[in-house]
Amino acid sequence: MPKHYRPPGKKKEGNAAKYITRSKAIKYLQITLPVFRRLCILKGVFPREPKKKVEGNHKTYYHLKDIMFLMHEPLLEKFRDIRAYDKKVKKAVAKKNRDLADRLLTRKPTYTLDILIRERYPKFIDALRDLDDSLTMVHLFAALPSIERERIQVKRIHNCRRLSHEWQAYISRTHSLRKTFISVKGIYYQADVEGQKITWLTPHALQQVLTDDVDFNVMLTFLEFYETLLAFVNFKLYHSINVKYPPVLDPRLEALAADLYALYRYFSANSRVPAMESQAASLSGSEQAETGKGGTQTDETELRLAQLQHQLPANEPGTLMHLVDAAAREDDDNEETRECKTLFKNLKFFLSREVPRESLLFVIPAFGGAVSWEGDGAPFKEADDGITHQIVDRPTQGHIFLSREYVQPQWIYDCVNARIILPADDYLVGRVPPPHLSPFVDNEAEGYVPEYAETIKRLQAAARKELLPMPGVDKQDLDDPQNLLVEGIISRTEANEAAEKKLKMLVHEKRFHDELKMEQEGVQYSASVANKIMQSSVEVTEAREVSLPDFAQVTEDAASMSKVVMSRKKRRLYEAMQIGKERKRANVNILKERKRKTEAAN
Amino acid sequence: MVEANESRLVKAPKEKKNKKKKNTMSQSTAVEEPQQLETNSPLVDKVLSENDDTERESGAGEHELLEDEEFVRTGNVELSNEVHGLEDQDEGVEAHQGVEESDSSEDEVAPRNTIGDVPLKWYEDEEHIGYDITGKKIKKQARKDKLDSFLAGADDAKNWRKLYDEYNDEEVELTKHETRLIRRLLKGSTPHAEVDPYAPSVDWFEWDDAKHPLSNAPEPKRRFIPSKWENKKVVEYVRAIRKGLIKFDKPKEESQFYLLWGDDSSSTDKAAHGLSYIPAPKPKLAGHEESYNPSKEYIPTQEEINSYQLMYEEDRPKFIPRRFESLRSVPAYDNALKESFDRCLDLYLCPRTRKKRINIDPESLKPKLPSRKDLKPYPITCCLEYRGHKGAVLSVSVEVTGQWIASGSNDGTVRVWEVETGRCLKIWEIGEAVHRVAWNPVAELPILAVSAGQDVLLLNTGFGNEENQVKIKELMHIEAPTAPDDSGNSPSIVSWVQHDKHDGITLKHIKSVSSVEWHRKGDYFSTVMPGDILFTSDFIALKNVRVYDLVKQKLVKKLEAGVREISSIAIHPAGDNVIVGSTEGKLCWFDMDLSSQPYRILKCHPKDITNVAFHRSYPLFASCSDDCTAYVFHGTVYSDLNQNPLIVPLEILRGHTITNGRGVMDCKFHPRQPWLFTAGADSVIKLYCH
Repeated sequence: MPKHYRPPGKKKEGNAAKYITRSKAIKYLQITLPVFRRLCILKGVFPREPKKKVEGNHKTYYHLKDIMFLMHEPLLEKFRDIRAYDKKVKKAVAKKNRDLADRLLTRKPTYTLDILIRERYPKFIDALRDLDDSLTMVHLFAALPSIERERIQVKRIHNCRRLSHEWQAYISRTHSLRKTFISVKGIYYQADVEGQKITWLTPHALQQVLTDDVDFNVMLTFLEFYETLLAFVNFKLYHSINVKYPPVLDPRLEALAADLYALYRYFSANSRVPAMESQAASLSGSEQAETGKGGTQTDETELRLAQLQHQLPANEPGTLMHLVDAAAREDDDNEETRECKTLFKNLKFFLSREVPRESLLFVIPAFGGAVSWEGDGAPFKEADDGITHQIVDRPTQGHIFLSREYVQPQWIYDCVNARIILPADDYLVGRVPPPHLSPFVDNEAEGYVPEYAETIKRLQAAARKELLPMPGVDKQDLDDPQNLLVEGIISRTEANEAAEKKLKMLVHEKRFHDELKMEQEGVQYSASVANKIMQSSVEVTEAREVSLPDFAQVTEDAASMSKVVMSRKKRRLYEAMQIGKERKRANVNILKERKRKTEAAN
Repeated sequence: MVEANESRLVKAPKEKKNKKKKNTMSQSTAVEEPQQLETNSPLVDKVLSENDDTERESGAGEHELLEDEEFVRTGNVELSNEVHGLEDQDEGVEAHQGVEESDSSEDEVAPRNTIGDVPLKWYEDEEHIGYDITGKKIKKQARKDKLDSFLAGADDAKNWRKLYDEYNDEEVELTKHETRLIRRLLKGSTPHAEVDPYAPSVDWFEWDDAKHPLSNAPEPKRRFIPSKWENKKVVEYVRAIRKGLIKFDKPKEESQFYLLWGDDSSSTDKAAHGLSYIPAPKPKLAGHEESYNPSKEYIPTQEEINSYQLMYEEDRPKFIPRRFESLRSVPAYDNALKESFDRCLDLYLCPRTRKKRINIDPESLKPKLPSRKDLKPYPITCCLEYRGHKGAVLSVSVEVTGQWIASGSNDGTVRVWEVETGRCLKIWEIGEAVHRVAWNPVAELPILAVSAGQDVLLLNTGFGNEENQVKIKELMHIEAPTAPDDSGNSPSIVSWVQHDKHDGITLKHIKSVSSVEWHRKGDYFSTVMPGDILFTSDFIALKNVRVYDLVKQKLVKKLEAGVREISSIAIHPAGDNVIVGSTEGKLCWFDMDLSSQPYRILKCHPKDITNVAFHRSYPLFASCSDDCTAYVFHGTVYSDLNQNPLIVPLEILRGHTITNGRGVMDCKFHPRQPWLFTAGADSVIKLYCH
């Protein structure tokens, strides 16, 4: 029934009944816009696109069911309570009733978001799927300064830092980091948790640029939800690897801003607890048998205490190695995890002052390497003999240990993305490193493969071929993958060259045979003949050139003819696809053109 | 509280045993004293703590000290007032009275300045600070500059107890005794050590034989009953505590996190309110160009960056790649917060819909067509060209036997050509642009109908054997003088005249004739004048196609092409199918048994379709257009009515060139061979053979 024929009191139908504009929704819920916004953010309610926009095109429409869903939300009532309570406080302050105001402030009504999280993400996997944004946001706020004017409190910043470290520690511990990418915007990480690819961005660890065109109220509401979500997710993840949450960290390391390392140590201590406990149980059992019941309990607790103290030695250098060992015992992880786990195995890294420590402390252990840094609380010192690589990011390196390589941080990230140990020559101190490529791009699909990507591909292929465990090869040879890699490349290039030579030889041979034949036929091999041959060949090529556009014409005709018989819908779709393809091709062409120009300039 | 007050009341006069008489006024001052002390103590506290600081820093805090002098002075004065007020009880009331204007203590000299309690600001700009007791001006002392005073202070160990008295314009050095007093005050004890605050109270008033109370006022009630309001307040607090509204211990910090997803098995997939949850699309992942160190080819040149400024803001690339030599030189990203905020906005403000993303190969969209090889023969290549016309060839017509073609051109000539050789056999000079030529479809009567300007000419071509020639001559001659035979047209519209120059008849119309067409049997022909149809034809078209029954003389059917303007029409030899070409380049195939809507619309030409044609015997049809191309299609019509006609595009024929914006003007099939004649605006007629 059309709108204007509807008698008053008759129910609406269709889109008019199903969808409601935002201002109407606010009126309906009897709340203010900020509260509505807050509720929408927390409940995950978003506008929907009705088929027909009854109230006009420039309005936001919510589904009526969504609005009803908000209406029955206990949080709505809670917000009203909080508002009323705030009024009470305000009144007390206005009446100069200081102690009443103080007392009221200590008992402000609070709310929790756990039910909402459960409601929005009924399964853990759902939560993981939606984790990208929350991780990015939490990492961003972890790098922000606290701003009093915008009500960004120190407490929240610290909470964000803590959550991000906990998440990173878990990822590192389970070796589920897959890809990393240093972009101008920050560092991207991609992890694989329970089959879900989770990508997040961490800003470069610098003073962030604050802009004033940002509404922090909105962001803080999002952050509130994300913090809670991430904490619950962390809880579940820690629970899944038998570690207590929230972790208790060594205050000394925390003070030194080495939270991540403190977390690793917490992990390693915790992972050994179950084993110890079983030992303790057996021990105490035997003790019980021997000494009887009296006093065993106290003995046991003492034992536990002693063990715990033993587990936390002052500054054990091999903590990270233990971590690796412990993790190595788990056999249930898949092929990729195993590959990631052993990438930096047996390598020891040392970070100089100027490199981004937090990022590298996260990435290197995630791929099975041991790492230390310059500063207090570090597991091992710079002078350690076992260090194989030192990560430096300065123009020149003063004192050089000959036993180790001095590489730029990009080397780590490139190795991680390529999953092989790349030759460190290009990444040495003072050199301009090769281009850093994004691991998220499918080069073949894009249609343009950067040069360095091909190099890496070759290296990967070489590594795969050579590193297969062959019975005849010595173990020592296997230990030095770089040598093998280089050899592999050399052999490959040699093979290529040989093939080319062979081809040339064949051509020469053929020509020789032809000439021989002609001579046999009695034709004097003269310049004129040669000219003739040349001419004929030229003609052939010309003919080809002439026929080529014809061929193009034919294919074009074929295309247009098949387009003629398509239905209109399909034809439009086809044309749209062609436009997309064309755009892609244009982009690739721009790249190729630039490349050609730079090469010409060099 | 009342009791406490009272005890104080009692306590204060305790020491003053030797007092002979005391009026109520002095009593009240005595009561106020401890309060005054309390109120003053923070000031003193501040000064002293600063003194301590300066002691430690050896005079570093000189400035602060100077600034706080006023406080100290007043504090000191009052303090001494009180202290000595207590001490000097012995000296009598006179001393007490002296408290107001001057210091009454014996070790404290009277201030030399006598200006009284006036704001010192008044004397700021004066040479003097006031007057001494004799009335002489007291000159201001020379000011030390700050550096000197600081240096002096740094050397002097006693500097911390020196204060500047602005009132008297002199430095006062606190004695040890005074500092001790202040220390004691700070601790909250009595200023003098010898005072015993807890001495037993001795009633100095002799109550025994007093006949009258000190005051005649009746004792107020509040002295005897506990305070009601206090009681109420206490009750309120007690209740609040009992109810738990007031808690003294802080609530314990409990971890609010627990295993939220214990077992996923119990949870349901459905959202709580029955609407499907549409997850937000994930942000785009970074490509090579976003790297801090991208390959060189990803970095735009300066010209390209400048050219971005010319673009519309929406089209401008959001991100311009940059290259940094090393990781340490990468700055913080400017838009980090902004982008995060934008993402937030997207998440809660953007309407979400589910869009089906088609991930198919575009080639799979093309319909499966039968192979063109199987549909041979059809015209493929141009094998003959008929040249001779001076202007655009507007029309071409093939004789029924297929031996000759006639063509009419813009240059006012009609030519007849031999198909096989391309030889021009005859030329008629009409004098006006020839719009249309048409052979009589009867093989025995090779008569040519030509429309030029306002005339339609019937020409005797002179082909055929003698018998036929005779017959034609007869026809032409006999019909010429007679009036038009069958149509009921008034002679004002058409007049039949024997052509004077050529061998034929002229039909003079009142308006220009655009088209002429023969009936299948060759007995009738129709002419079309824009806006006025002279003679009923089978089909009339402008926007829709109307089908008339000629015998019954009425409308049978209306075909809706749905195109802007119909330019040409052709009928399948079987008669049930019609193709219609339009000026927007669309070709509509109508199956008249099926519906009045087109069965298939083929969008083949980018420009106007000038003509369409069916082949008489082969399942072929063609369209030609102003874009210089002619399409040849295969179109099989099955005798089974349930089966739709099969339409396959076969070939695009090119060769003509655009002249004056027109391309191919006409196309006709050879009646027996799968050949196609096209007449171009470039004055050439082409024959395409298989």
